[in-house]
Amino acid sequence: MALRELSSLEKFLGLKKPNKYSTQGDKKVPVLQSNNGPALVGLVTIACHLVKEAKRPELLGDSAESRAVVQQWLEHRVTKLDGCTKEDVKTVLKDFNLYLQDKVYLAGNQFTLADIFMYYGIHSLIVELAIQEKEQYMNVTRWFDHIQHYPGIRHHLPPVAVLRNRIYTGRHH
Amino acid sequence: MTKEGVQGATEEEEQQQAQSKKGLKKQQKEAEKAAKKAEKQAKLAAEQQSTEEDDFAKDRYGVAAMVQSQQKLDRALVRVQDLTPEKADQLIWLRARVHTSRAKGKQCFLVLRQQQFNVQALVAVGDRASKQMVKFAANITKESIVDVEAMVRKVEQKIESCSQQDVELHIERIFVISQSEARLPLQLEDAVRPDGEGEEEGRATVNQDTKLDNRVIDLRTTTSQAIFRLQSGVCQLFRDTLTNKGFVEIQTPKIISAASEGGANVFTVSYFKTSAYLAQSPQLYKQMCICADFDKVFCVGPVFRAEDSNTHRHLTEFVGLDIEMAFNYHYHEVIDSITDTMVQIFKGLRDNFQTEIQTVNKQFPSEPFKFLEPTLRLEYTEALAMLHEAGVEMGDEDDLSTPNEKLLGRLVKEKYDTDFYVLDKYPLAVRPFYTMPDPNNPKYSNSYDMFMRGEEILSGAQRVHDAQLLTERAIHHQIDLEKIKAYIDSFRYGAPPHGGGGIGLERVCMLYLGLHNVRQTSMFPRDPKRLTP
Repeated sequence: MALRELSSLEKFLGLKKPNKYSTQGDKKVPVLQSNNGPALVGLVTIACHLVKEAKRPELLGDSAESRAVVQQWLEHRVTKLDGCTKEDVKTVLKDFNLYLQDKVYLAGNQFTLADIFMYYGIHSLIVELAIQEKEQYMNVTRWFDHIQHYPGIRHHLPPVAVLRNRIYTGRHH
Repeated sequence: MTKEGVQGATEEEEQQQAQSKKGLKKQQKEAEKAAKKAEKQAKLAAEQQSTEEDDFAKDRYGVAAMVQSQQKLDRALVRVQDLTPEKADQLIWLRARVHTSRAKGKQCFLVLRQQQFNVQALVAVGDRASKQMVKFAANITKESIVDVEAMVRKVEQKIESCSQQDVELHIERIFVISQSEARLPLQLEDAVRPDGEGEEEGRATVNQDTKLDNRVIDLRTTTSQAIFRLQSGVCQLFRDTLTNKGFVEIQTPKIISAASEGGANVFTVSYFKTSAYLAQSPQLYKQMCICADFDKVFCVGPVFRAEDSNTHRHLTEFVGLDIEMAFNYHYHEVIDSITDTMVQIFKGLRDNFQTEIQTVNKQFPSEPFKFLEPTLRLEYTEALAMLHEAGVEMGDEDDLSTPNEKLLGRLVKEKYDTDFYVLDKYPLAVRPFYTMPDPNNPKYSNSYDMFMRGEEILSGAQRVHDAQLLTERAIHHQIDLEKIKAYIDSFRYGAPPHGGGGIGLERVCMLYLGLHNVRQTSMFPRDPKRLTP
């Protein structure tokens, strides 16, 4: 899973040569061997490295505050989102929905690596949601639909249908 | 005397003394009690005497003798719904139920109820009513039927809690015609309380089973009265609209020899030395009437389905409103006729039953029913496309599951703003054997379903009117030809092309009003768990 994400990221960044990754441990943490220096271990570490390699530092945030926010969300992705249980899903989505209330992207008004990896991470949860639930977490759905249509992002994941208008408006059914 | 003896004697004496002390106390207490009792009795007697003495209004109230048609009274009784300011200062008689009665000092406030209407009434100590009369009024049990002579008076402030808000009655005479037992199995106020309000304010509501077990009382509530008046309206509009279109009403047999829709969900009855079945639909007989040249027929009658489904929309016995008609060249003539009938029914309800709709909405709020003219008709393939767009995976020849039907209903509502639509050209594979296949595409059929608020209310189609094709289709569906021989034979002697459909009265009412359980629109519902009342 993580390896596919990294390969999609490479395609998005326009990196010509795809890297060869290996994994370590039962959690299959990705590892990138480098020619000059120690190996890079961890999804977030490797992703940040790739971004720097592709000379797209703005994807990590263009101010100190947004850089911190991006790192925070990348951290959140691998610690809280990956492997969250069924009971946690509601809370995760509720908090995420509240956070996105007044933001276009996770870092505010700028598209960053945080959006990419939160999209990859949350896809499996969104795919399972019924239309009524998608309407319940309106902000998450809005952000998700925006990111999945962002050019070059949605490589290995199937698109999730999002309706233009609300169909659950009334108080019934 | 020995010492013991002396001791014994003193002990005895002591005991005697003790006894007499106890005895004295006991006697004293008894004496007090007796005195009190005597006092009370004397007081009561005095009171009674005084009440009998002072009761100048003795003839103006009481429990009337049971009405055994002893006399023909030439007395006009006014209806509660006619109590308007126009009748102010008139002395009138009426008969109604006591909805509530509340004594407050020298006055007693009553709410008198007649079906959906109620009015405030007042008995006050004065020159017409005595203290004893007010007390009598306050003690009349709820739901008792009373005859009341009263003066109609206009009120300054509107009485919000009653249907007649501009007047109140000042009672001069009140007689109980039929007394109710004091303990009611359910309280009418609780039965009409909206569920939300019940939870918020911690007041009681009545659950459905209790209501159904005590249906006679539950049917007295304003909500129930409104629902069944509206249902009566649906039947009336159905009959009138179709009669105006030239349809003939027919009656079909309900005891039949073979299951019409399939063997699984049919009730068997013992029929002398053999068995028979209760009809699952009038399908076969409607069609035979068409072959008998009645051209356009409809019937209103019970339908029996032995389906062990305990859902919000299934009953084992319900009222079917069925239509069948011969057409000239295309089965859409049938669809148009049916949808026009439905639209006339919706319009008739909207225009003539607003009071009833509002009454039901008070307890069960819902959005008003919306429909388009002409009725929206979608093809099955279009519906599939809409569902695919919403992320639902379905094959071309799959039937719609209930959740998908409901979802489709919402998508249609959002896109076209209608609660009523027709879905045309269902896949042939999921329809009964007597459905006419589509002439151009063998995967589809000339069949249709109609939906209200996303739930199916009618299933219909062009029928196969050719004995040869019918036999082929029956064989394809692995149906025993022997069992349907009479049915197939009816098409051998010239049969016109025809089609039709049937709706369930209870379901249509439930969905029109936006209710959530079909038992609310069935007077004495029958389901796998309920056979009484």
